[in-house]
Amino acid sequence: MEQLILAVGECDPANDIICRPENVIELFEFSDPLFTIGPLGFTRTVILIFLAMIIVVALLFFGLRGKSLVPSKFGVAIESLVVFVRDEIAIGIIGPEGIKYFPWLLSIFLFILVGNAFEVLPLINFPITSRMAIPLGLSLLTWVIFVFVGFKKNGFRYVTDLAWPTSVPLALRPLVGLIEVVSTFILRPITLAVRLFANLVAGHLMLTLLLVSGWVFMSSVGDIGLRALIGIPWYIFGLGIYMFEVVVIILQAYIFTLLSAVYVQTSVHPEH
Amino acid sequence: MEEIKGAIALVGYGLAAIGPGIGIGIVVGNAITAMARQPEAAGMVRTTMFLGIAFTEALALIGFVLFFIA
Repeated sequence: MEQLILAVGECDPANDIICRPENVIELFEFSDPLFTIGPLGFTRTVILIFLAMIIVVALLFFGLRGKSLVPSKFGVAIESLVVFVRDEIAIGIIGPEGIKYFPWLLSIFLFILVGNAFEVLPLINFPITSRMAIPLGLSLLTWVIFVFVGFKKNGFRYVTDLAWPTSVPLALRPLVGLIEVVSTFILRPITLAVRLFANLVAGHLMLTLLLVSGWVFMSSVGDIGLRALIGIPWYIFGLGIYMFEVVVIILQAYIFTLLSAVYVQTSVHPEH
Repeated sequence: MEEIKGAIALVGYGLAAIGPGIGIGIVVGNAITAMARQPEAAGMVRTTMFLGIAFTEALALIGFVLFFIA
């Protein structure tokens, strides 16, 4: 149970108001590998990444396999998900040429959805997107794509139009240009990654704290007697948050994909 | 006067949450007004509302991460 609690470690409740995790860096890097194959170390997170990949491929393969006239219920569910990403996100945001970006958007949507869903999946209970490497990698991919598309569509005017916007008064152009360049090239990938990461870390911490509190109270019934019933409200509250986290999981996968599409759209049509 | 002890990062996160809280309230409130006035535009309004929430929320999330790092 102790591995579940992020903040376990040396903590003196008399002097420290809150017990922070001793080493925050562990959220940003991989821990010691469980086993290694050649130069590749496999931690639990890496195994879960491959599991998420396999689940996504299996969902699409088994969902869209049959070409029968009446698809199965599972097939309809997967198909509506795919059509949603295609019509609402790819074509709805980027425009008719958005169909080119549809495979990439569908990939990141399903991967983040499955990776987030590990948070509430019993026996796993660990969202892989709460390790900074994965949201950061996905958002850097988005960054590379929208910068590449911007240069390809507009040439070097992509940067000069951002840094020297001709639609604002001359006196304001340096300031607005600076804000635009910083927010486009630096803040966009950071906020995209941090949004997913922080939401999942917060949810994971909340679930861990509430459910472990309930477990600690209920399991120490021998020591504290009837007061162990305090654990029941903790469980109820934790299960309420569980439902809330299911919403957060779907919403964050949707928002990450939506913002990726919006960023590509601003590169394709920079005048908007 | 006694020494003030505690986690200043907690206060910082609390301050960082004020602005985005108000901002998300404004975004969602106006989106509801728009949806109530023009229910046929609800889909478009909802997409834009999520975008607005996402941009506003970023500040609170940066505060949340800094709370851990600070």
